Amino acid sequence: MNIVMRLAWRNLWRHQRRTWLTVGAMMFANTLLVFMISMQFSMYGLMIENTLKLFTGHMQIQAPGYKDDQKMRQTVADIVPLAASLRAEFPDEKIAARGQAFALASSEDRSYGIGIFGVEPEFEPQVSSIPGLIKEGRYVRGKNATEIVVGAVLARNLRVGIGDELTLLGSGLDGSFAAAVVTIVGIFDSGVVDVDRNIAQIPLGAFQDIFFMDGAGHQVVISAPTLDAAAAVLPKIVAAMPPGSDLVVHDWDALQPGLKQAIKADMSSAFFMYGILVILVAFSVLNTQLMSVLERTHEFGIVMSLGLKPGQLGRLVMLETTLLGLIGFVLGAIGGVLLTSYFGVNGLSIPGMEEMAANFNLPTRVYLEATPLSVVIGPSVVFLFTLLAAAYPALRLYKLHPVEAMRTN
Amino acid sequence: MRMLPVLTRLAWRYLWRNHRRTIIMVSAISIGVWAMIFMTALSRGMVDQMIEDGVSALPGHVQVHNKQFLDDPSVSNRILISDAELSRTFDSADFKAWASRVKVPAVISSEYESRGVTLLGIDPVAERAFGYLSYDEVEGRFLEGVDDNSIVIGRKLADKLETNVGKRVVLMSQDPENEIADRGFRVVGLFNSDVPGYEDGNVFVGKKAAQKMLRIGDTTTELVFLGDSYRNVEPTYDRVVASIDGTLDVKRWYEVATYLGSLLKVMDGFVMIWMIVIFLALSFGLVNTLVMAVFERVREIGLMLALGMKPSHILGQIIIESMLLLSVGLAIGNVLSWATIQPLRGGIDISIVAQGMEMMGAASVLYPRLYVSDMILANVIVLSLGFLASLSPAWRASRYEPVEAITKVG
Amino acid sequence: MAAVRCVDLCKTYRQGDQDIKALDHVSIEIEPGGFVCLSAPSGGGKTTLLNAIGGLDMPDSGEVWVADRRIDQLSKGALAELRLSSIGFVFQAYNLIPVLTARENIEFVMQVQGVPAAERAKKSMAILEEVGLKGLEDRRPAEMSGGQQQRVAVARAIVSRPALVLADEPTANLDSKTSDELMTLFTELNEHHNTTFVIATHDQRVMGYAKRLIRMLDGRIVDDIEQHAA
Ligand SMILES: Nc1ncnc2c1ncn2[C@@H]1O[C@H](COP(=O)(O)OP(=O)(O)OP(=O)(O)O)[C@@H](O)[C@H]1O
Ligand SMILES: [Mg+2]
Repeated sequence: MNIVMRLAWRNLWRHQRRTWLTVGAMMFANTLLVFMISMQFSMYGLMIENTLKLFTGHMQIQAPGYKDDQKMRQTVADIVPLAASLRAEFPDEKIAARGQAFALASSEDRSYGIGIFGVEPEFEPQVSSIPGLIKEGRYVRGKNATEIVVGAVLARNLRVGIGDELTLLGSGLDGSFAAAVVTIVGIFDSGVVDVDRNIAQIPLGAFQDIFFMDGAGHQVVISAPTLDAAAAVLPKIVAAMPPGSDLVVHDWDALQPGLKQAIKADMSSAFFMYGILVILVAFSVLNTQLMSVLERTHEFGIVMSLGLKPGQLGRLVMLETTLLGLIGFVLGAIGGVLLTSYFGVNGLSIPGMEEMAANFNLPTRVYLEATPLSVVIGPSVVFLFTLLAAAYPALRLYKLHPVEAMRTN
Repeated sequence: MRMLPVLTRLAWRYLWRNHRRTIIMVSAISIGVWAMIFMTALSRGMVDQMIEDGVSALPGHVQVHNKQFLDDPSVSNRILISDAELSRTFDSADFKAWASRVKVPAVISSEYESRGVTLLGIDPVAERAFGYLSYDEVEGRFLEGVDDNSIVIGRKLADKLETNVGKRVVLMSQDPENEIADRGFRVVGLFNSDVPGYEDGNVFVGKKAAQKMLRIGDTTTELVFLGDSYRNVEPTYDRVVASIDGTLDVKRWYEVATYLGSLLKVMDGFVMIWMIVIFLALSFGLVNTLVMAVFERVREIGLMLALGMKPSHILGQIIIESMLLLSVGLAIGNVLSWATIQPLRGGIDISIVAQGMEMMGAASVLYPRLYVSDMILANVIVLSLGFLASLSPAWRASRYEPVEAITKVG
Repeated sequence: MAAVRCVDLCKTYRQGDQDIKALDHVSIEIEPGGFVCLSAPSGGGKTTLLNAIGGLDMPDSGEVWVADRRIDQLSKGALAELRLSSIGFVFQAYNLIPVLTARENIEFVMQVQGVPAAERAKKSMAILEEVGLKGLEDRRPAEMSGGQQQRVAVARAIVSRPALVLADEPTANLDSKTSDELMTLFTELNEHHNTTFVIATHDQRVMGYAKRLIRMLDGRIVDDIEQHAA
């Protein structure tokens, strides 16, 4: 260790209690930051994944305007062949076609208005988690079978079970009266009440028959292996749209605009809070380093009269601060990783937050994960502000006059 | 007690002996306190609005249903008390407002489209006081009475149905025998609402018209009562419970809208945690400052002890010094937060994340709410935890031996 | 009744592996109204003895009595009470509280005693005049010379008319004229109020005022003579 380094290190420990208190402030902030940021990243990831996986997929091909109005007439013509040709062209992507309509579903005892989705039973499981969430019975099969799967809440409200029949009443594509009797073959439970109460799925062929769709549907859902891959493949899919069609391809952000914004809103309030924490730590460091410079005025006076330049002293102070900051960085990061890992193993559930979590498709117990980024980002900012805070006391040294300095004690 | 003025003067003077350190610390405390109150006011503003909107859309602070209704919202599970009898019970009971209404799921169809909605058969006169809709701002007109055979729907729903004022729509639901009950209505008004989802999901018809369509005579599915405020529903709740058949299900708003209820609790918890976290971040600097302040004047402490001051006086002096430091910071922090929140009272436009807020159930204009109780909480937390944090340095200071302190070198 | 009585006091400091006997079997008795000078070369044990008498420091063995109360076994609080009510101190160094003005320093003890403000003000202004510091009452210690600070310390020690004044080198920073004035003040107090003075000093001039001169060397009393004021 060179002499300047050693000097800085010794100076740091002149006031043990003070140094530990300053390090303590950094540790506190860093531990908290690592934990909170890891938690946010984990939650955001889950929110996006769960929301998109449930139903939306990464992209959808729709008629213009359908996204906002979801009108029956805003159709994708010849949807099954379109999906098939896309499947051939993009083997890495999972692709399924859907139709969507509103209908009054009546059982023996009850009638409710619900959303009916026509799905391709072989492909739907690849783009949506709902087929995998069947808790009773099975998913729909075949192209034209008059079978239906309903959400658990809907089944309860309609007082129906597997094997019961439902009458669907609605209007077809041409506005004419549409009616059908379908048999319940499965009940799914996604845990999202709105979905479980309002949605039922039937094979797309049967859907097209019932609602006089004439081969048309409403959405082609596309899932890529990852979010990044989805972004990359989007322009190719746009290019693959049948010539002359006015179909549009929406990415997940357009389909679930609330998702990114909710994350954005959450992030901005979180960053406000983190900013305050960092500033408070910076003040703590400023205080300590200013004290440490002021109490050494006499000493600095002596070494300056011996020929040391203010710049050299300033560097000494900055070096001391760097050491201080590094201790806080390392200890805080370790603390944060430990805390995060604890909740990574045991899962984190905040009492009272369950319903809030459900709104964002989050499970009640979240298993946190500390990534290198989430660990390093907070402590780095704290470290940066630590150095910034020490700049004032370090710069003060330039104003120091050796003779005057020696006179103070 | 006699010593208080002496100790306070000493503490105050010592505080400003090292004015740089004190200014830094005061700034830190001020910023911390400002952040505590400012952040709380913003969050309160958001959550309060969510709750108020949510509660007013319910509507009513206390609701009465058939025991099965909330789980199975069908006309079969209606309240089997006639409107006439309800009127006898409640009209004279001097509630701020009450209403009986028909509320069932239904499908609404125009010539082009169908949608699932909640059908509300209401008495527009009785429900005006609930304030979930401003009747006068309805495009066209609102319902005129219980007999009104027209329908009022949301602007957004009208767009989706491609219908408009003057056109006809069909409502479909079920009667108690599960026969399809349907009827055509003429759209006479379109309403707008700030409450997310409200415009798409609710349609209003006259109560009698709804009863007739659903073939339920003069019974309804829901009774709603307005209390003084959503934070004080107990008195209303008690009176409703006392005056109604025990087989019915009487619920406070936060039991009906559990999401909103838990939100209120989560919010209170968040405010507390946020304030404590900020304080903890401050506490290191505070203790540090006190430790340094004691360290610098060990000799003087020795002198005071030698002159006959008791150790408890030294303890008191350091604690007072800490309290003064915190009080100055608090004063500035309080003023600062008031001064920054005041200009924002007109609301902060956060419409760039409007749909995100909608997912949370919040509106896109944020009105900060500065509660006196939150301000008091912040001050109490800072002072009481600050007191605890200063005990250790103060205790150490009071344990010095006078001779050693006086002869201390350095 | 003796104002101060020390019986067989011993106090040993360890300095490295060497034992330093700061007090070595010291016994003295001082009558009320005594005016005693302690003289010893530097390191002779003067300050240690004064501290023991004032209850600031505990002897290793022996007894200390002040006004017929044994004080070496009293609690901290009781000692503080005793110093506050009946002993005035002038220390060798670091006498004043830097954040208080001259007058506030003088009033400090009275304030702790609970003397009403009006009386405090009267007494402190009077004493300031007596020690020749009129006009400097609002200065802080840092704004005064060493001698002026010393006089403020003396004023504080005597202002509440304690029965016993312990002064450690009270004239160390004073010129001969001011020293004389201070000693005259002490003598007057001694004669009019029967205040007992124990003054540690190197100063021959100060010794001249004493009724009794005790010489110490290496923690032992080597000489104890009654003398009459010059
Ligand atoms: N806290 C201490 N630790 C170690 N040794 C001490 C301590 N205090 C005093 N001594 C030693 O005890 C001896 C007596 O000290 P004391 O202060 O009583 O001398 P003094 O007569 O007052 O000297 P001076 O005239 O220089 O003030 C000295 O040798 C001194 O070094
Ligand atoms: Mg001495």
